[in-house]
Amino acid sequence: MRLLKDGTEPAGPVALQTLESNPPEYGTPRAKAVTVDLNAMSTLDPALEAMYKASEREAKTSSEANASSDAPAGSDSQPADAQPAGDVPLPAEPAPAEQPVDVATESAEERRVRFERDAMQYVDQLYSAAMRMARNPADAEDLVQEAYTKAFSAFHQYKPGTNLKAWLYRILTNTYINLYRKRQREPLQSNSDTIEDWQLARAESHTSRGLRSAEAEALDHLPDSDVKRALQAIPEEFRLAVYFADVEGFAYREISDIMNTPIGTVMSRLHRGRKMLRDMLADYAAERGFKGAVESQDTAANTQQENRK
Amino acid sequence: MSDCQGLGDCDDARMQRIYEYLDGALTREDITEIKTHLDECPECTEEYDLECVIRTMVKRSCTEAAPENLKNAILDRIHAIRPVDA
Repeated sequence: MRLLKDGTEPAGPVALQTLESNPPEYGTPRAKAVTVDLNAMSTLDPALEAMYKASEREAKTSSEANASSDAPAGSDSQPADAQPAGDVPLPAEPAPAEQPVDVATESAEERRVRFERDAMQYVDQLYSAAMRMARNPADAEDLVQEAYTKAFSAFHQYKPGTNLKAWLYRILTNTYINLYRKRQREPLQSNSDTIEDWQLARAESHTSRGLRSAEAEALDHLPDSDVKRALQAIPEEFRLAVYFADVEGFAYREISDIMNTPIGTVMSRLHRGRKMLRDMLADYAAERGFKGAVESQDTAANTQQENRK
Repeated sequence: MSDCQGLGDCDDARMQRIYEYLDGALTREDITEIKTHLDECPECTEEYDLECVIRTMVKRSCTEAAPENLKNAILDRIHAIRPVDA
């Protein structure tokens, strides 16, 4: 997103594509030339860092060979088929329960045990996400069952040590698109798709700084049902992006993999989705007569209210 | 919103910076810059806090436990699949 302010080259940038021993089979329109500045990452797990360093050395030797095979971003809009496949190249989150495994020599039974041990812990989370997709409990259950079945069938393609949760979410999202959403899937393109460089770091704390406005207080009094209603009311691609970021805490690049869209699209969906959500919540708070919501809500929400009259 | 341009020259730019900050998508330098600004700007801090509140609400509202039988149903289906060594 932004180059380092002083104009210096970020030390040791790693082109993510070159970290992969195999190009991902799935999800072609990836943001290209994404680099991660390791030195700028403030909370990198030491073990992960060692892994990165090792991959970096490897990547340097093979990056030239891979450079020509990179698919140009946005060059096609290959639809996601039912195949839940592909190594999800997501090293971001160290999977807590995973243990080292040699996939090549693993028996089918061992793989099943590993799947149950590592993947089944995310049932609740996937169900919550499925509820944002399917909108009713019965369909959400079907969706999660279907996704898990696909994931199990494709588990030999999952690369241990990468982000299992994101891999499962990607399968869930594909399952939803293929099974439950009949309309044509059209990857959204946005003006911000040209982002070529960005770096990651984590802010230390996301807690409120103690200056809560009347508006914030008013929103905070809304019941959960209003929040769900507001989320359901915003268009699906915005809703899911907001859900993946705010509830699951996935990074932009992870969301881009899960939703099979470029990072720029993820960012613009988040921006617009959050704005819609905020306006809608301000509306609900005003309807409920919570003090603060009316006086201080921003212009967009006011306009929306005007339009309703 | 406000006239402060400390985080960007329009509301959209400012909100984008706040989102990136909350999403952990900035460099350490950017983070320091935003923190410094938030320390001295009540208006931007108000926007930041509002986003924090909304995030917390969304997270709280959308965390649902799967029905009891779901996990077993999944396990049944998995066990019914004939394992294939890849």
